[in-house]
Amino acid sequence: MPTVYNWQLGRPMEYPYDAAYPRYQFAFVFNINRCIGCQTCTMACRSTWTFSSGQEHMWWNNVETKPYGGYPQFWDSKLLGLLDQANPDGQVWNNIKTDPRLKPYGVFEGKTIFEATHPAEAAPQNRVLGYLPTDREWRSPNIYEDTGTGATWKPGEYGKTAALPEHKIWFFYLQRICNHCTYPACLAACPRQAIYKRQEDGVVLIDQSRCRGYKKCVEACPYKKAMYRPTAKVSEKCVACYPRLEGRDEIITPDGEPIESRCMSACVGKIRLQGLIRKEYDGRWSNDPGNPLHYLIREEQVALPLYPQFGTEPNGFYIPPRWAPRAYLEQMFGPGVEQAIERYVCPSRELLAIMQLFRATRPVIFRYKILQGPKIFEREVTLPSGKKKTLEIFNDTIIGYSKNGREAVRVTVEEPTFERDKQHPNSI
Amino acid sequence: MKRIILALFILLALSCRRETQRSNEVIASVETKLASDPGDPAWQKLPEYLARLLTQDLVEPRLMNPSTAEVRVRAMTAAREIAFRLEWADPVQDDLPGAGRFADACAIQTPGRIDPNPPDPQMGQEGRSVEISYWRADWQAWVNGRPDDITALFPNASVDRYPFDATPLEKGSAEQLEFARRYAPSAALGNRREGPRENPVEDLIAEGPGTLSPAAKAVSRGKGVFGPEGWSVVIIRPLPDGLAPAVRSQIAFAIWEGSKEEAGARKMRSAWIPLAVKEGK
Repeated sequence: MPTVYNWQLGRPMEYPYDAAYPRYQFAFVFNINRCIGCQTCTMACRSTWTFSSGQEHMWWNNVETKPYGGYPQFWDSKLLGLLDQANPDGQVWNNIKTDPRLKPYGVFEGKTIFEATHPAEAAPQNRVLGYLPTDREWRSPNIYEDTGTGATWKPGEYGKTAALPEHKIWFFYLQRICNHCTYPACLAACPRQAIYKRQEDGVVLIDQSRCRGYKKCVEACPYKKAMYRPTAKVSEKCVACYPRLEGRDEIITPDGEPIESRCMSACVGKIRLQGLIRKEYDGRWSNDPGNPLHYLIREEQVALPLYPQFGTEPNGFYIPPRWAPRAYLEQMFGPGVEQAIERYVCPSRELLAIMQLFRATRPVIFRYKILQGPKIFEREVTLPSGKKKTLEIFNDTIIGYSKNGREAVRVTVEEPTFERDKQHPNSI
Repeated sequence: MKRIILALFILLALSCRRETQRSNEVIASVETKLASDPGDPAWQKLPEYLARLLTQDLVEPRLMNPSTAEVRVRAMTAAREIAFRLEWADPVQDDLPGAGRFADACAIQTPGRIDPNPPDPQMGQEGRSVEISYWRADWQAWVNGRPDDITALFPNASVDRYPFDATPLEKGSAEQLEFARRYAPSAALGNRREGPRENPVEDLIAEGPGTLSPAAKAVSRGKGVFGPEGWSVVIIRPLPDGLAPAVRSQIAFAIWEGSKEEAGARKMRSAWIPLAVKEGK
């Protein structure tokens, strides 16, 4: 089997095909700390792509409540269980030796879904470790909504369960779309080679004229974002709103600028930032210090990949929730969790400015510039580790630029407010 | 007297009962007309070939656990067409479409042209195509009057209105179907797997594993019936060019067991089996 390099694992990895990389890669950062679970993203996607006959169970974007929720039900627990069987010594990370470019989280020493063999005898396929959800598991996309867990909670502790750094009763929202992986499992598993990754933006698509609905992609995708449409008898998946990425909508982007996907654009909680990452010919991320996603993921490392141990090199990254148990988060986002939360809790001046770009405008931001402003706030904060640190907030202005270098947005750290006079408190 | 009548009845029944004639090749009997219904008594007088099936363990994704062991085949030909009746044991009728479901199915495969040295039986080979007629249980259900949409499958299901159902479009009208088609990208691109269907059989060609593609023209038809012992399916297609008495060709069969999640390459299949045409008695 060919070998490819997976920077999230910090090592080469087996993959059924030779490496081939796009010029740009569709990628996104979701800030879990900000999500209010309103499902506006879910409905934006639904009303754009999956409102037709045969798509009733299809939610290309979904927001599930962790730890119990999942769409399809228990998707991650099931796959982690399979991976555990393939890794009897555990899904172990060696994060003693790191390298910001090649192994920012250390080295994953376990087997990925491409390297593990299926524990079942005569497994349905051997290219990718996976499973096919049942009809029933697709039916309740928001099951266990807002259901917390309190394994360490004791009677009598009521009212004392929400102290940081880890709440004793907790849940958090996990926002999910297709990760448009660098090494897609769906693509690897398709026996008809009907799935392809676009050269221009890394978006992974199913060729609807070629697919024959064998469901191998559904079985193989560890995130379960390839879905079978029973009326069409083919599989469909998130298309990353590629007409918007291409800037082909004459009404909303007459100048042909790439604009964010529907789920990003609709986010009420301002938790989402989408980008297009420039890549080198060998798949490495180009050194692109002015790109907000590059800063969040590769420089500040405050946003982490979802289940990197699966091995697909997903291009969706999450700022982990600061209140959830670290062991759970490390299983989900890898060994960078503690550092990411520390940096998020007491953000650097640059990080705080970049956080203002989330859902601030529709065009995809390729570059930012920060204009320094006055200091407006200072206080001492306690980090999760117990250390004290001074948080200084400056009212900087950040400017986001579109692909063509046009100014797409300008926001300040301190949100401008207007106070009405006493005579007209409720007038407009 | 009653005993005599009973004895006569038993004798009559025994004399009418025909032993199944087994043949060591698939023999298409020349008839005046084809029996398109699997239950047509005309099938009973024809010799039966018992095709042993093998697991498809040659290419990924493989089927390693055997499921359907054999398929019983009878054949007849008339008016430049050839009909095959495939019967196989199946305890469960898998004809419901669903995200986690698979449909029962069967297929016949013939070489692209008659050749004593036929192409690879596993879907043919480059430059040497095979022709496939593929029948599916969920397509048959549609033809029988049960569409694939959620309200047909779950009568109590509640669905928000689909945009293409909005007034003033009349349900089932050409305009409404055309509008609905816009939201079915595979169908809009010519992928023929989506309903509505009038034919449960699809014509395909292949030149090796992974190359399966729709044939230029739909020439096959068929009908499948599920009974207590399993499926009985008739597939009718044009007689291969040049196939006549004294000329031998080949045929192969495949069965997909929906309950075992079989689809695509994961199937039970036969090797090439000799196919002959013989004048009926």
